[in-house]
Amino acid sequence: MKHKMRSLSSTAIIAIVVVVIIVAVAGIYLASRGGAPSTTTPTTTTTQKTTSPTTTATNTSAYPKQIYIGLVEPLTGNYAVFGQEAQQAAQLIVDIINNELGGIKSMGGAKLVLVTEDAGGAPETARLAAQKLISNYNVPIMLGAYVSRFTSAMAAVTEQNKVILVTDALVDSLTQQGWQYIFRVAPKASAHGKAAADFVLDMAKKTNTTIKTAVVLNEDSIFGTSVANGAVLELVSNGVEIASHITYPYDISDVTPIINQIKQLNADVLISVPYFNDGVLIAKAIQASGLKFAFIAGAGACGYTDPDSIKAAGDAVLYYTNTYSYNPARPTQWNQKVVSAFEQRYGKMPTEGAGIIFYSLMTVYEALEKAGKMFPNDPLSPDHLKAAFQSLDLNDSNSIAAQLYPSGHIKFDASGDNLYPLTAILQVQNVNGTLTPVVVWPEAQPGFSPIFPRPGWTQTK
Amino acid sequence: MISPELLLQNSVDGIFLGLFYSLVAMGLALIFGVMDIINFAHGDLLMIAAYFVWLTSVDLSVDPTVTALLLIPLFFIIGIGIFFGMIQPVLGKEPLIQIAVTVGLGLILQNIALAMFKAQPKAVPYSIFNFSYSLGPLTIYASKLFIAVISIVTMYALNVFLNKTYIGLAMRSTTDNREVAQLMGINTRMLYAVTFGLGVALIALSSSLWMTFGQVQPYLGTSFSLISWVIVAMGGLGGITGVVYSGLIVGVAESLGSLFLTPSARMAVVYIIFFLVLWFRPRGLFGRR
Repeated sequence: MKHKMRSLSSTAIIAIVVVVIIVAVAGIYLASRGGAPSTTTPTTTTTQKTTSPTTTATNTSAYPKQIYIGLVEPLTGNYAVFGQEAQQAAQLIVDIINNELGGIKSMGGAKLVLVTEDAGGAPETARLAAQKLISNYNVPIMLGAYVSRFTSAMAAVTEQNKVILVTDALVDSLTQQGWQYIFRVAPKASAHGKAAADFVLDMAKKTNTTIKTAVVLNEDSIFGTSVANGAVLELVSNGVEIASHITYPYDISDVTPIINQIKQLNADVLISVPYFNDGVLIAKAIQASGLKFAFIAGAGACGYTDPDSIKAAGDAVLYYTNTYSYNPARPTQWNQKVVSAFEQRYGKMPTEGAGIIFYSLMTVYEALEKAGKMFPNDPLSPDHLKAAFQSLDLNDSNSIAAQLYPSGHIKFDASGDNLYPLTAILQVQNVNGTLTPVVVWPEAQPGFSPIFPRPGWTQTK
Repeated sequence: MISPELLLQNSVDGIFLGLFYSLVAMGLALIFGVMDIINFAHGDLLMIAAYFVWLTSVDLSVDPTVTALLLIPLFFIIGIGIFFGMIQPVLGKEPLIQIAVTVGLGLILQNIALAMFKAQPKAVPYSIFNFSYSLGPLTIYASKLFIAVISIVTMYALNVFLNKTYIGLAMRSTTDNREVAQLMGINTRMLYAVTFGLGVALIALSSSLWMTFGQVQPYLGTSFSLISWVIVAMGGLGGITGVVYSGLIVGVAESLGSLFLTPSARMAVVYIIFFLVLWFRPRGLFGRR
């Protein structure tokens, strides 16, 4: 009898395991497609509580003493690598605005208070996080959420509540939804792909390297696809044949089958759009396989050239490039100051996640200053803030935000995108025996130049 | 058009990968088989072990494979500690309580990793096996070949252990019938502790091998837990043979799925095979009970 019970128990256990596997697989699939139910992924929510929420956001008789700025970023889960850096950057910029710039001067020196919520690992969590910031703090402006489908979920809430959303997500379509209160300073995804292709084509021309065929490889999110499509369009329009366009899930654990496939194609160039996890695997597998390309260009700012990828992949990423929405080497006074402050506070170089927040949040500062001047009686009303954003025309000489931006120029079009987007190309080079990311294009930082084609590659066709 | 060379290449890589998956799942199968415990923290223990590999390799500047010498005994002890601290109190309890405990352990480990190492993946930037050589039309990746060889050797050694040693035989008899084994004088409490320790030690070995080409981040365990459970459930509690065959099926299916469909669809092929196997053989390929 007891034996029978154990047998039944084993069957029950196997049944439970099968059910759990089905639920987990479905959850992962839905999460990767942007429809994960919130209950499938346990997430932690962190909130930086403020000291005294005594002021209202829209006080018409006097300026607010403090203005809440919401930040929703993935602080846990697979995307936390970017969200955590974004949070660090936001806190640094808020401290600079409050302590060095004296708050929002046009509003009587009102201080900014950063309130952060975790977007977790699913769009639904991001939406709830945005809702919480609006309900608890009545934030007039919110930033986030790096991952485009999280931003889409947030926008449903911010649009309904007329809250300005300054996004650090790059998928092109985010600003083409007819939303009224969304702004994006950073260059959109397709601009990254185009920049990677332009860099390769420009350098091939300068070095008399013949580029006839390319393989385009991207992780299969909307972001990866948008970036890759930008590269494909640019390559094809310049007469380069796409030998293959391969997509894969960003959480892939073994890339060997992909590298085997690429090896058969014998292409001149590889344009790769990785997330963070996959970039290290790809670089190491390419190195192990002995695969040679005239050049391997990353696009989309994730992986290959950031300090953590270099630490993890070692010399496997030597000479790799990637496109960045931010240029940490841009030689303007405020850019150097902010980079230095970030390095001092956090002990690392700011990368994409931090860089976008630097200039996006500083643009928020400029818009608040403008709103205070344009609408002194009600600067924080949604439409007044929107008007302030749309009136901005920032450049290196009149703004800190522009000094932090690669093109040095920020002005929004009707959809909320920056009219003057620019990405920088960083390349991993051996600088005095240390693998170091250096800016090489469109203008190389002093003392450096792009290394193109890859050393050890010879033109055979 | 897929060339025969590419088909052969992916099949060989799939076999190598499958042998590694078998090794990863072996610890889980052992614990499940002997103790009827569903260890949902299996993958997370591998993740923690992989962080140990990373720390040790980078600090001591040694190859990840060398760290196995330190990690196997260390994780054997850790496994025994986990057994007495967390598993023993829920032995014989409802499966759901056991699941709650091991899922909880997994979440604790995930959050410890997240707090200590942040979300950035860590990899060992060097390995003596980070090269390949050509064998006719085939590219043989040294790391994958080494992993496959170690997996085979380990599983053979485990087979000998289970069939030729007193403890191994005690484990097998307990797997077959716990009550009878107890009546024969087997100290099941100590046996469970050793089994759990051995299962966790196997995880440590897997993590050392994994880090020769892979990387670790706090959520690495989820995918390994899933794959391991698929292998164990598909193999049925058929001992080492079931796990090896099942692991090979998963590895080859993943590799060929990536080739014939897309890399994004590779796991779909694995899960379709998994469901088909369980549809026709609900107790798995080699299920005995």
